[in-house]
Amino acid sequence: PTPLPGQDVAPQRVEIHKLRQGENLILGFSIGGGIDQDPSQNPFSEDKTDKGIYVTRVSEGGPAEIAGLQIGDKIMQVNGWDMTMVTHDQARKRLTKRSEEVVRLLVTRQSLQKAVQQSMLS
Amino acid sequence: MPAELRQEQSPGSQASLATMPEAPDVLEETVTVEEDPGTPTSHVSVVTSEDGTTRRTETKVTKTVKTVTTRTVRQVPLGPDGLPLLDGGPPLGPFADGALDRHFLLRGGGPVATLSRAYLTSGGSFPEGPEPRDGPSYGSLSRGLGMRPPRAGPLGPGPGDGCFTLPGHREAFPVGPESGPPGGRSLPERFQAEPYGLEDDTRSLAADDEGGPELEPDYGTATRRRPECGRGLHTRAYEDAADDGSELLGERPAFSAVTAPLAQPERGSLGSLDRLVRRSPSVDSARKEPRWRDPELPEVLAMLRHPVDPVKANAAAYLQHLCFENEGIKRRVRQLRGLPLLVALLDHPRAEVRRRACGALRNLSYGRDTDNKAAIRDCGGVPALVRLLRAARDNEVRELVTGTLWNLSSYEPLKMAIIDHGLQTLTHEVIVPHSGWEREPNEDSKPRDAEWTTVFKNTSGCLRNVSSDGAEARRRLRECEGLVDALLHALQSAVGRKDTDNKSVENCVCIMRNLSYHVHKEVPGADRYQEAEPGPLGSAVGSQRRRRDDASCFGGKKAKEEWFHQGKKDGEMDRNFDTLDLPKRTEAAKGFELLYQPEVVRLYLSLLTESRNFNTLEAAAGALQNLSAGNWMWATYIRATVRKERGLPVLVELLQSETDKVVRAVAIALRNLSLDRRNKDLIGSYAMAELVRNLRNAQSPPRPGAHLEEDTVVAVLNTIHEIVSDSLDNARSLLQARGVPALVALVASSQSVREAKAASHVLQTVWSYKELRGTLQKDGWTKARFQLAATTTKGPKGAPSPGGFDDSTLPLVDKSLEGEKTGSRDVIPMDALGPDGYSTVDRRERRPRGTCSAGEASEKEPLKLDPSRKAPPPGPSRPTVRLVDAVGDAKPQPVDSWV
Repeated sequence: PTPLPGQDVAPQRVEIHKLRQGENLILGFSIGGGIDQDPSQNPFSEDKTDKGIYVTRVSEGGPAEIAGLQIGDKIMQVNGWDMTMVTHDQARKRLTKRSEEVVRLLVTRQSLQKAVQQSMLS
Repeated sequence: MPAELRQEQSPGSQASLATMPEAPDVLEETVTVEEDPGTPTSHVSVVTSEDGTTRRTETKVTKTVKTVTTRTVRQVPLGPDGLPLLDGGPPLGPFADGALDRHFLLRGGGPVATLSRAYLTSGGSFPEGPEPRDGPSYGSLSRGLGMRPPRAGPLGPGPGDGCFTLPGHREAFPVGPESGPPGGRSLPERFQAEPYGLEDDTRSLAADDEGGPELEPDYGTATRRRPECGRGLHTRAYEDAADDGSELLGERPAFSAVTAPLAQPERGSLGSLDRLVRRSPSVDSARKEPRWRDPELPEVLAMLRHPVDPVKANAAAYLQHLCFENEGIKRRVRQLRGLPLLVALLDHPRAEVRRRACGALRNLSYGRDTDNKAAIRDCGGVPALVRLLRAARDNEVRELVTGTLWNLSSYEPLKMAIIDHGLQTLTHEVIVPHSGWEREPNEDSKPRDAEWTTVFKNTSGCLRNVSSDGAEARRRLRECEGLVDALLHALQSAVGRKDTDNKSVENCVCIMRNLSYHVHKEVPGADRYQEAEPGPLGSAVGSQRRRRDDASCFGGKKAKEEWFHQGKKDGEMDRNFDTLDLPKRTEAAKGFELLYQPEVVRLYLSLLTESRNFNTLEAAAGALQNLSAGNWMWATYIRATVRKERGLPVLVELLQSETDKVVRAVAIALRNLSLDRRNKDLIGSYAMAELVRNLRNAQSPPRPGAHLEEDTVVAVLNTIHEIVSDSLDNARSLLQARGVPALVALVASSQSVREAKAASHVLQTVWSYKELRGTLQKDGWTKARFQLAATTTKGPKGAPSPGGFDDSTLPLVDKSLEGEKTGSRDVIPMDALGPDGYSTVDRRERRPRGTCSAGEASEKEPLKLDPSRKAPPPGPSRPTVRLVDAVGDAKPQPVDSWV
């Protein structure tokens, strides 16, 4: 896939195997963003009008980290579902379907250098 | 019978209730009673992962606890000479009590016989031989009265004869009130098995934290009996108790001054074995026996170091007696550094010594003066007590230890220490075994009932106290394996046996209430259940159902039966919460998850229906209040479950209670429950009359002393406000219930600013319904009247309200505004407020006040904006990644969701 504008790196595929905790399946990361959210507050996006879904935290040792997901990644797809034009809650729901034990994400991430620059500017 | 002297409401809990926010999110109370988890007793590893989940693994110390039945206390009858007849009793405990008594008795000889001599003659063993009936030759400490029972009960007045000895004999003293009043008062010198000595703490006055912490009950035991007349307090001049010999001269312990003029001032050193102590004149005249002087406090403390173990034990027991209800002595013991001595004795090899020392500590730990509690902590008392609990098989010792811990737990700085050292032990040694809960239930046998023992009561009291110590304490208790399960099991057992008024039940419900506080924020994985739109499914479904039921319920007969059946009808329709997205459970809920399963609703409602204990009622309502708060899925279920289980009528009925705190707790619970639209409609219809009646009582109490407290009135007003907001029907109900005159009267003449403000706020909201203006005006109310009410109590729009009530600052909203979405963020200008994309979940609840259009919407929003109610910053268990920190705090925090 061609890199999206504003991203330095080709999209990555990340396959996360959910972890069962009690009656829940968790992935071990948190998301921010959505078409119903304020994109200007996103510290990870290069384009401050980008209303996409971004990874805001990754639990240490959790399924997401193990799978290679990184903080600041932008999630483009989840199991084939588009995540670039969804509300925050829709995004969350697509990730937390109980019937799915594995989710395959398509993510893009900035280069490390860019990410560092970004955080220093904000 | 509970050995409690009095129970004091923690003013803190009331104060905190007062400051609870208006927000419909509901106030949550937590009772926090701190406890020290018993880390020494188990190996705990706490793993906190970045996502905020904390996993706690504990390897428990396995120890089976056998429930020992309480000792029956037998009185020791006194012979005519005042010496106890000990032949009746089998020695209890490892210590041959009877023998101990005897060895104190002087055999033969003259009036002077020192203990040392007795010891010498007996060579360490106890003199056999007949009884106490020896003639005048006693110098025994154990002469006369027997021991003080470890717990004071409401027994009659002290021994008439007032003779007591250093507690040497054991046998017969009442363990507690259960032992029954001593018989044989006929003889003045008969030993009265008075419950001396042990006292429990009274309730502490400590306030608690956010939300209505509960009180910590320390109970005072019933009055302690002191011998009135001539106490023949015999003392023994121990040879080696010479440390304070010089103090003996002419000094009298305060207590003895009350009674007989024991004494002749002693001359000479303590070492003098020839000291005679005079008895009280009355006794003297009766017997012409040698007199005895009460041992001085330093002497007694010195005896704690005596090489002979029985001396230590007796000294400790005597100390217990001295300290009973005597704050001065307690202080002096601490000043004389007696507390480290006693704490050290908790590890003594002799069981009797340990027991007596614990009894003394129990008394010393009781009382308003917290210095003793601190001093006990400072010398390692808490871990020592926990060790003793683990080691002890004797039920009395366990009662003493847990009683002491209960006393200590009311002192706030000690709460975490008790959790640290004692939580595991208390849970696994006492709560779990006595609750009847079995971790691996045996399929064949039926569930065991709870055993309402004193040890359980003390322990639950201690845990109650420590559970009020804040978020960390709650976390520890929630995550203590088996605790919540056992407590629930015990409560269910109580309900099943219809035994719901006792103190243990009260303690358990209070713990549950505390642990239910802020569950929606604090339990691991709570994020998962957060709802972006507060209860969207619930309310959507609710509104559909409402329409359907309206015809039958509101349009048709409004009989109570109809209402009562509502729950059933609804239940049939969606018993499985089909319309609500109840998560499928792969395994049974356990541990803290049990706190918020809809099944607990039935338990709390049963308690509310059955119990007559006001504290229990308050706590059960508080638990429902806590669970109905919060913007998460479980709260939605719980609110609906309360309705389906026909809990609303139960609550409404309790509004009639004459007990202030019950009315208050119920009112706030109803308010939270009103976040469910269906509930709101029902409550508006059927609770309005009771709510208004309470207002009228506030204004003009029907009888003297029926005056409602300010916090209660404010709570009722807030509840009314909640249910008349955004509900024309409910506002009409208010008018029909003649609420307006009561409100206006409150505004005009209430002594309390808060009451007036809250009442005024309701009036404003009522006035905002254009449809009602006609009716109001017809009744003679004018806008001016309503506005006057408003302006007298509040200033310009946006004036901050005290205690976090922001209702009064919300602008008068025109109800005719239609089309405002419920709580939808879409109508809220992004820049004005509102969580934005990247905030943490907690901060999402915050919103600036005073915005116009948001004001109305916010009232529907379960997350009411109330900065004063802002969620506490995420605790240490959660990483607080502030994504917007870099950009500064000016902007509202964005939202993120854990997946």
